[in-house]
Amino acid sequence: MATNENPKGGGDPGPLLELRGITKRFPGVVALDDVSLSIHRGEIHMLLGENGAGKSSLIKVLYGAYRADAGEFRHQGKVIRIDSPADAKALGIAVIFQEFSLVPFLNIAQNIYLGREPRGRLPGLIDHARMHADARAVLQSLGLSYDTHALAGDLGVAQQQMVEIAKALSQNARILVMDEPTAAISDRESEALFTVIRQLREKGVAIVYISHRMKEVFELGDRITVLRDGRCVTSMEAAQATPEQMIRSMIGRQVNALFQRKGRFTPGDVALEVSGLHTSTGVSGVDLHVRAGEIVGLSGLVGAGRTEVARAVFGADPIASGKVTIFGHEVKGEPDSVVALGVGLIPENRKAEGLALGRSVQDNLLISSLWKLFPKGWYNAREAMRRVGALVEKLRISPPDPLRPARVLSGGNQQKIVIGKWLNAGCRLFIFDEPTRGIDVGAKMEVFSLIEGLAEQGAGILLISSELQEIVHACDRAYVMRGGRISGELAHDELSEQNILRLAI
Amino acid sequence: MNGASLTTWDKVRQPLQRRLSGEAAALIYRMGLVVLIALVLAVLSDSFSTSSNLLNVLRQASLIFLLAAGLTLVIISGGFDLSIAVNLTLSACLAAGVMKAGGPPLLGAGVALLCGTCVGLLNGLAVTALRMPPFLATYGTLWILQGLAFHYMGGNEIFGFPPEFRALGTGFFLGIPIPVYLMVAVLAICTVLTQGVNYGRELYAIGANPVAARLSGIPVRRRQLSVYVLSGLSAGIASVVYLARVNAADSGIGEPLLLPAIAAVLIGGTSLFGGVGSVFRTIIGALILALVINGMNLLNVHSTWQPLVVGVVLLAAVLLDLLGGHRRERIG
Amino acid sequence: MNTTTLTVYRRSRPLPSVVAICVAMIVGAALLVKGFLSGGNLVNIGLQASILMMLAMPMTLVIMSEGLDLSAGALLSLCSVILAQALLSGLSIPLALCLSLLTGLIFGLANGVLVANLGLPPFVVTLGTFGVAQGAALVLTDGNAVAGFGPELARLYGASLLGIPVPVVLALLVWLATHVLLYHTRFGTYVFAIGGNRDALTLAGIRSRFYHVGIYVFAGLVVGFAALLLTGRMNSAHPTGAIGMEFDAIAAVVLGGTSFEKGDGWLLGTVMGVLTISILRNALNLLGVESSLQMVSIGLLVLAVILIDSWNKARKESST
Repeated sequence: MATNENPKGGGDPGPLLELRGITKRFPGVVALDDVSLSIHRGEIHMLLGENGAGKSSLIKVLYGAYRADAGEFRHQGKVIRIDSPADAKALGIAVIFQEFSLVPFLNIAQNIYLGREPRGRLPGLIDHARMHADARAVLQSLGLSYDTHALAGDLGVAQQQMVEIAKALSQNARILVMDEPTAAISDRESEALFTVIRQLREKGVAIVYISHRMKEVFELGDRITVLRDGRCVTSMEAAQATPEQMIRSMIGRQVNALFQRKGRFTPGDVALEVSGLHTSTGVSGVDLHVRAGEIVGLSGLVGAGRTEVARAVFGADPIASGKVTIFGHEVKGEPDSVVALGVGLIPENRKAEGLALGRSVQDNLLISSLWKLFPKGWYNAREAMRRVGALVEKLRISPPDPLRPARVLSGGNQQKIVIGKWLNAGCRLFIFDEPTRGIDVGAKMEVFSLIEGLAEQGAGILLISSELQEIVHACDRAYVMRGGRISGELAHDELSEQNILRLAI
Repeated sequence: MNGASLTTWDKVRQPLQRRLSGEAAALIYRMGLVVLIALVLAVLSDSFSTSSNLLNVLRQASLIFLLAAGLTLVIISGGFDLSIAVNLTLSACLAAGVMKAGGPPLLGAGVALLCGTCVGLLNGLAVTALRMPPFLATYGTLWILQGLAFHYMGGNEIFGFPPEFRALGTGFFLGIPIPVYLMVAVLAICTVLTQGVNYGRELYAIGANPVAARLSGIPVRRRQLSVYVLSGLSAGIASVVYLARVNAADSGIGEPLLLPAIAAVLIGGTSLFGGVGSVFRTIIGALILALVINGMNLLNVHSTWQPLVVGVVLLAAVLLDLLGGHRRERIG
Repeated sequence: MNTTTLTVYRRSRPLPSVVAICVAMIVGAALLVKGFLSGGNLVNIGLQASILMMLAMPMTLVIMSEGLDLSAGALLSLCSVILAQALLSGLSIPLALCLSLLTGLIFGLANGVLVANLGLPPFVVTLGTFGVAQGAALVLTDGNAVAGFGPELARLYGASLLGIPVPVVLALLVWLATHVLLYHTRFGTYVFAIGGNRDALTLAGIRSRFYHVGIYVFAGLVVGFAALLLTGRMNSAHPTGAIGMEFDAIAAVVLGGTSFEKGDGWLLGTVMGVLTISILRNALNLLGVESSLQMVSIGLLVLAVILIDSWNKARKESST
């Protein structure tokens, strides 16, 4: 559990903010389970955990977007509640999100003081001189010399982040929460960011810093908390921790594997071949291949470029250089031409990219196989219902009414529809992007059975997943990506959570 | 069919009946509105129930419908076409010019259809190739076409077309005006297009969620281009019927038809947000609008009130659409 | 330490194409069109441009907020009709102007509430209010022009202040007011945010809908004010006389570089767009080109500018 020693010694005023027993439940999943940790002034508190461990839920509880179902907050020893973003703001909690809240065509000073513009002489007017002077002062205190007239939209990601920090600081933030701040910036820019963060620490600001990267965790962190499956596994001073300890805390789950393969199948022809793939979306040189009958995993941390590879393979994003061939045919152009080659994509964001929520289950299930089922173009409603009925039964979609809008189904059933829509389309290559995210355990098992069944019938499968368990137990072999490239390939006997993490970080 | 499929079919048939009544309910409510308005007018005015008046209503409805049919398809696929009325104007003027110069009626009609289709192609290219937002692209086309129509007509009117041509608008067949047959034919074709072939199901998917449609393998840009072409063709057909009935053309004939056409689509229940609706609903909408306009005429409401009433009706229809709750999925 | 993160300079933006086009238009007209540079003609241009300027100023804000106001022309006609009828029934100019402003306010409020509070698409909403405004104007006038009131308004229109015609002065006043509103008040700052990143406003605790409605209300008020010029110019009011002016206004804004996304707006660009279009129309008039083809040429010009600017943007993005 958390220790209360102030690493700097001296009189310890106690934690600035304490979380005790914070629990947050959603239907079917417990996002946070009895989490306790304490945030101290002038301390950089690192928050570690895999995807799904509960980090983003914790942030949301901290700034009032989620209300905790159980547990309490203590601010400087006093019990308080955080029920809304206004409460969080009043406590001096500021969060820097991954999607910045900057207005692109307003300048830096305007963005920092959005909503709090200093009044000019005449009522209603803005005192620009003061606004810019104040903005410069705040930036100066961070060691930055920005031209406050620069437009926010012209700035690079790292610079926008600095402006966000300045904005939070100008609102007297006492607790700054940063979510993967170095995810989209270069190493050099990260160094500048660290300088600023250290300066904030000198000023007594408490920083909660979420990261995957061991290097910066130990370079910057004073205290480290590891979350796993919604629980706080360990919380200790960085000086007393080692990277191996942290990794083991992050991934050590009970070993009862949820899914076991029935067996492996003989790989057939090469279904997918990617060589030297570069895209403007962040893929910088990827080579991989998938054979028919294989389930190949593609792992890595968020931002490593896996979805970008999938999209480029599927024709959804343009290929800057390199070659993608599917069953020997080169991919050029839009998804419809790739689908014609026999490929199906189950996208990461099923609601926005995989389904038309307002349309019926039936319409969603048939949309990709219309021309395969009705090659002359004549839609036969009776045949359609028959096929849909068969699919609904095979996939055990519930409720089994195919005319209900897809919106009303649970996440697991929606995912089954997204998979199901390819089953009549004659696909020989399937790309699954995080197929079990956000669905309950039972549905996860069904999805894996489906995937294995497809491989058994001779399809090639590319399985993108951040859940290490899945890769280890469901795949025949796996690639791991890091920073837009493949950092390694693991054969079947090399598949282990440790190995994957080592390559991913 | 084996036992399992039979059970599934049964399992599926009951909710189908339930669902049909959901869709049918929307239609029945609107058809009820038609009957209601008709009854009210019949009570308020003696001349309403005469056969000549009722035929007039049908003719007006069919003109609005023919113009709005293509627009319905565009809206279902998530787009919009502001240029349909001016398209009608230009197509009619060109056809009139051709026939006045001695061309046969068939050529005139052909020119109208060709013009309409080309305008549709222009709109479609602006939206798919230039990636302009549909309302902006078709708004720009609207003004360019209007300018061309003004220029071509030079402020004059062309009238007097061959009787074989006029028959298309004023003629009867088995006691029913020919435009009604056209209306039914277009309705049939559009219904097949939207319900009976793959193309239509793809249009609905694009309107409901264009991102998911693309990732499901639908050639979205090709479909969008085609649907604007269809809208243009629909305006071309409407221009032929207009020309045949009114027997005259000038550069302002289309403009007063824009709001009624849009109102017809929206009153019918096709949602502005895409993915929902049908051409059949537009017929009902067109009937409602035709009845409203007819009613105003019969009750001696001054013609200057009519644009106002149609404007109000349009706003009311848009509000109703919003209450229907068919929002396009917000992506991201 | 790393300087690229620690120091930021304002990026110099490439000159938008409207500047070049405006200059080219002026030079071209001066060289190629006989009679263009005469004093009388320049005054004419100024007068023609003043109404367009008034319409285009608030239209810039509307378009920056990802909207469109198709009802401006019809509303202008309606306000002009109301102004004329008020004058005809003996009201003084200021009182009549108040009625006109009130009409503009009401329609602006209607547009704003439907778009901002109910979330309806602006082009359909303003199409509807276009119909209502046009219909109302027709009803009020029975389709005829309204004339026969005293010459005070016309005299006001023809007067000059320090040598500048009153209409031009008023148009410049509207420009000044819009400039102050957009660049020196919170309202204006929020206009950028409504188009660029509405969530930023919500996170800052600002009621963005209130300001969104305000944009359309501002547009309505300015249209009501512009009716003064329209009625004064002809010394009469026609119920459908101004329909089509919204096209020129939208064209001027789009020409000026304001785009339909991300809250990018440049008021000076709109001013140049207004100048460009007014000069183009004037030059074409002098050359004897009829107004229908003028319409076509403006449409093609706007199309060309859209193409050039999007090509430029694509080129810039691929090189960064």
